[in-house]
Amino acid sequence: MPGLTLSSGERWAAHGVAGLARSRRIAETSMLIGAACVLSFIESALPPVAAPMPWLRVGLANVAVVMALAYSGTSMAAAVSIGRLVIVGLATGGLAGPGSVVAASGALCSLAVMGVLARHRRVFTPVSWSAAGAAAHVLGQFAAAAALLGSTDVWRLAPPSGLLALPFGALVGAIASTVASRLPHGRWPNG
Amino acid sequence: MLTRGDRILLALTAALLLALWPLAAASGGQSGDRMVVVEGPSGRTAVPLGEEAELTVDGLLGHVHVQVSNHTVRVLDAGCPDRICERTGPVSSPGSVIACVPNGVVVRVEGRGDAGLDAVVR
Repeated sequence: MPGLTLSSGERWAAHGVAGLARSRRIAETSMLIGAACVLSFIESALPPVAAPMPWLRVGLANVAVVMALAYSGTSMAAAVSIGRLVIVGLATGGLAGPGSVVAASGALCSLAVMGVLARHRRVFTPVSWSAAGAAAHVLGQFAAAAALLGSTDVWRLAPPSGLLALPFGALVGAIASTVASRLPHGRWPNG
Repeated sequence: MLTRGDRILLALTAALLLALWPLAAASGGQSGDRMVVVEGPSGRTAVPLGEEAELTVDGLLGHVHVQVSNHTVRVLDAGCPDRICERTGPVSSPGSVIACVPNGVVVRVEGRGDAGLDAVVR
């Protein structure tokens, strides 16, 4: 504002408030990354959901990603998703391997689709963000696998995998909605 | 509760994937007797599906053991972390694929019956 000047004390106070908000954001992001890692490890211990497609998972870790997306936005969701990939990759020793490339490709495609849908919260709920994100995740993974293998044959498996991913993604979105509705903050959309 | 937009989006996504299914199924098929083709970093190997054979190909992580038996093909051992290729189990239909991404190895069944077409002219 023209002519507005702050005293040194007021400037320090503003800096402190901004610092608190930043600290809070870091803490919230870290908690969601931790939750995503734990969910990822739990899911890896479970049997595949469809025996003919052992690569298909429910994607429980994405509950944390969807919550981050709805609570804050695409940047926090990206931090949670990528943070989880890095930590799980380091813990399992597969960080620099082709599996991580496939996982990262799926995560980026999913984030892109969910980020676009999340901008229209009056039209779409987290259930459909997550379902569409799950289908995009599967297609992104197959694209990376086809590129790594130098073969288009794997694309035969993509449409049935993507169709199965839709209900699982919707389930993840529903879980994220239910968990977040129990949170004390009033920033959850549509609830 | 799902909104109207949710239902439309889910229906459109499912319709898109269903529309892509025939296109994806037609990728990489050939006519003729069924053959097992194993492609990896060390090259390409093909054997008839009707033969009894055990193949060992070099992948990025080590040896990948493929068994052709009883008109089916399966990956016996790949040494990869998740063993998704081993858990896929035996396949025999033309167009079936077993992929081991960490090893860079693809096992596919080629033959008559791919996408219901006898031949594809490009």
